Amino acid sequence: MTPLAARILGPAALCLLMLAGCATPPPADDPEAVQEFKETNDPLEPTNRAFFAVHEAIDQAVLQPIAEAYRDLLPQPVRNGVRNMLGNLRTPVILTGDLLQGNLDRARKTLGRFMVNSTIGLGGINDVARSYDVHGHSEDMGQTLAVWGVGEGFYLFMPLLGPSSPRDLVGFGTDIVINPVTWFGQGQILDAWNYTRLGLTIVDTREALLEPIDAVRKTSLDPYATLRSAYRQRRAFEIQNRDSPAGAVAPAGGTGFGQGVMEPR
Amino acid sequence: MPRFLVHRRLVLAGMMGLACTPARAQQMDIARATTFVDKAGQDLVNAINDQRLNQAQRRDKVASILRTAIDIEGTGRFILGRYVRQASPAELQDYLKPFDEIIIRNLSSRFGEYRGVKFSLGRSQQRTEEDALVSTLVERPNTPSFTLDWRVAEINGQPKVVDVIAEGTSLRLTTRSEYAAVIQRNSGRVASLLDAMRGQIAQLAAREGG
Repeated sequence: MTPLAARILGPAALCLLMLAGCATPPPADDPEAVQEFKETNDPLEPTNRAFFAVHEAIDQAVLQPIAEAYRDLLPQPVRNGVRNMLGNLRTPVILTGDLLQGNLDRARKTLGRFMVNSTIGLGGINDVARSYDVHGHSEDMGQTLAVWGVGEGFYLFMPLLGPSSPRDLVGFGTDIVINPVTWFGQGQILDAWNYTRLGLTIVDTREALLEPIDAVRKTSLDPYATLRSAYRQRRAFEIQNRDSPAGAVAPAGGTGFGQGVMEPR
Repeated sequence: MPRFLVHRRLVLAGMMGLACTPARAQQMDIARATTFVDKAGQDLVNAINDQRLNQAQRRDKVASILRTAIDIEGTGRFILGRYVRQASPAELQDYLKPFDEIIIRNLSSRFGEYRGVKFSLGRSQQRTEEDALVSTLVERPNTPSFTLDWRVAEINGQPKVVDVIAEGTSLRLTTRSEYAAVIQRNSGRVASLLDAMRGQIAQLAAREGG
């Protein structure tokens, strides 16, 4: 395992171990409350909420200002180029997902997009395939597991990583490991490359979410609950593999905030 | 024909009869729903892009279109979910009033920002048991286009919007989780939700300058 992968998966595993705070189930004589508790499926809610508070503090102090500066300093074509390139580098993961789900039509599109964009599109910076109306889509191991019938399990909120579930977290780890891009090069070059990619992915994702997250903070009476519901619905929508004209290759992949990222203009 | 088979058919027919007469009784005609969404959407786009209006006027115009298009009471009840039965009739009225204001204010301030928006009917229109889902595409300059599905039901002989779903995320489901969380975290008291809603309206009003 590369140091980077270890550094991502290590804390995630640690977080899982730390999940000690549990929500109190409602009394059994209130069937509606019991039903609601099951639907919410957030038995670790107190811990998740604490992690959410930590995440919000880090976000407002560091991530959001960086994302705003990124948007202010770099012109849109450059930012689009970054998102396109990061998405192109996720091709192995997306193609694996398409194939494991038996979706040959989508696999063909993914492969075609990769070949056209990596060459004519100058290493993925320009999404040329899109101008031929071959739109990108996202795919990840969490979605593949879902298509295979694995349930999402309870809700998890990880600081920095965002909303997730045991299934999507396992998928997230698998995606990092199976992507050859993680393993290109050697030693310090590999490390530097992976850190750059990780840094750009975080900044790009956060920049894409400046407005949606502002809107949630401004209009929701309980942003934690809003995000939990929105994440699950968005996941379900992605898993359906429905054609969407706004479909995009989210560079951050399947877990957390990457769900909300849309195609750049 | 053996007697028990006849009997079973009667029972089946009876069950189907029951299944076909839901409480709200009316079925939504897909063509009617599509025409309705097309008209409401175009009205919204025209109001949003109307150069003669200033921001406040535009917001008011959008709000009035939304008010006639949305089934606010039904949506409000859906969102309150199981707490509708726990709320007293007075509490329910106390809830529906700020609910109307919040939903209209939030939607009209969001739509109000969509200058230069274009709107077109999508390809897939489908029908569910009680209502119709009309898919549309919203395009804006310099921002990604997105799909917006409108759930339309026949309410008292009129087609009305009961939900909007942006890229798979339903407004009424998300809001239902939000409101339920507020109630649960305040020991199941609906009154605490009402307080929070009133606080939010005060904030929204302050932000919009009245």
